[in-house]
Amino acid sequence: MDIRFEDAEVRFAGRTVLLPVRLDLTERRIGIIGLNGSGKTTFARLINGLVRPSKGRILVDGLDVTAEPDAVRRQVGYIFQNPQNQIILPIVRDDIALGLKNSRLPKGEIEFRVQAMLERLSIGELGGRRAHELSGGELQLAALAAILVTEPRLLILDEPTNQLDLRNRNRVLQTITSLPQQLIVITHDLGLLDGFDRVLLFDQGRLVGDGVPADVIAQYEALAA
Amino acid sequence: MKTLYAEGDSILHRASARSKLVGLLLAGILTFLVTSIPLLIGLLVASALLLLSTRLGLKDLLRRLVPLAVTISILCGLTMLLQTVETGIISLLRLTLLLLVSTAVTATTAISDVMDEITAAATPLERLGLLRAADIGLAIGLVIRFVPEVAERYEVLRDAHTARGIRPKTLSLLVPLIILTLRDADEIAAAIDARGVRR
Repeated sequence: MDIRFEDAEVRFAGRTVLLPVRLDLTERRIGIIGLNGSGKTTFARLINGLVRPSKGRILVDGLDVTAEPDAVRRQVGYIFQNPQNQIILPIVRDDIALGLKNSRLPKGEIEFRVQAMLERLSIGELGGRRAHELSGGELQLAALAAILVTEPRLLILDEPTNQLDLRNRNRVLQTITSLPQQLIVITHDLGLLDGFDRVLLFDQGRLVGDGVPADVIAQYEALAA
Repeated sequence: MKTLYAEGDSILHRASARSKLVGLLLAGILTFLVTSIPLLIGLLVASALLLLSTRLGLKDLLRRLVPLAVTISILCGLTMLLQTVETGIISLLRLTLLLLVSTAVTATTAISDVMDEITAAATPLERLGLLRAADIGLAIGLVIRFVPEVAERYEVLRDAHTARGIRPKTLSLLVPLIILTLRDADEIAAAIDARGVRR
């Protein structure tokens, strides 16, 4: 997908959270890095209309996100930093099915797709479980399944390995990297960016780095030193 | 997030969500048509047996019933003081009966089933162009979903006060509870938007 930022800027309560950004994102694997509060999440949330630009606009495959948020969201899935906030219904299977309810699919077809998605992510045993009983990694995968079942073309993940132990981190990472979708990943886990096509670096609401992972990570390390 | 639904294999668990919700509605109407105290006591015993048939454990039952039972007792106590003792007793019996029946229904019906049934019931209104049926189902489902969430949040805040050596008081807990609940509601609203649940 082609994501175009045309001088998009975000101001909140008289403060500029994101300074004007002008760029095109077409790569298959894109990373976003930066210190806490640097504007990473605001930038990513602009892409599916969770945050609206104060100035400028964002186009996703030619669709203006502010004017046509529903059309954009049908193609752009967003995984929240805290998957607890992503999961709306308490039982994993019900929550995954929720995204398909408006599709007017027959109940049997919805159940089939939910089960297929659970098995695709190797979490078939979690279907009947309650979300609050799951481990961090399981919760992250359940949230991922709830988004993937709607078959988005672009997936945005906000710190997907945050607060995970090494085993769960590797499990989630393996799942993410095997996805065919275009990915935009916000992360502090720099090892996750191996093999990525492009990385953006934000600092104090400004895009300060844009390039291949090795160069931008070096720039980030210098910035954080 | 926790859920009011408790898995099981009781008769109520196996009954359809529609029949349970219609039964709850009828119980609500019937309760307010009956004014005889002996008859209300009989209905209360029947509803208690209905709740016991769900085979919920005693601890779970108390967790579900005590907060609302306290509220009902206060309300009915005030009614007795401000009106008549008989009116207070009738109110106590009616509200307790409804508490028992609704607890039995929510403990044996998954939120998604409740949402489906409410959506189906609201569909004729959608055809008249008055509302979006799925929105009504989602709204009611979210209210039910948030009940244990708010209770859990209250316990966390109470523990946080205790851990810092501050004696928890209802008023000092209420303000952060409201703020945190509103923040959670914002996040859930964002998740609903992000997931395109309301397309």
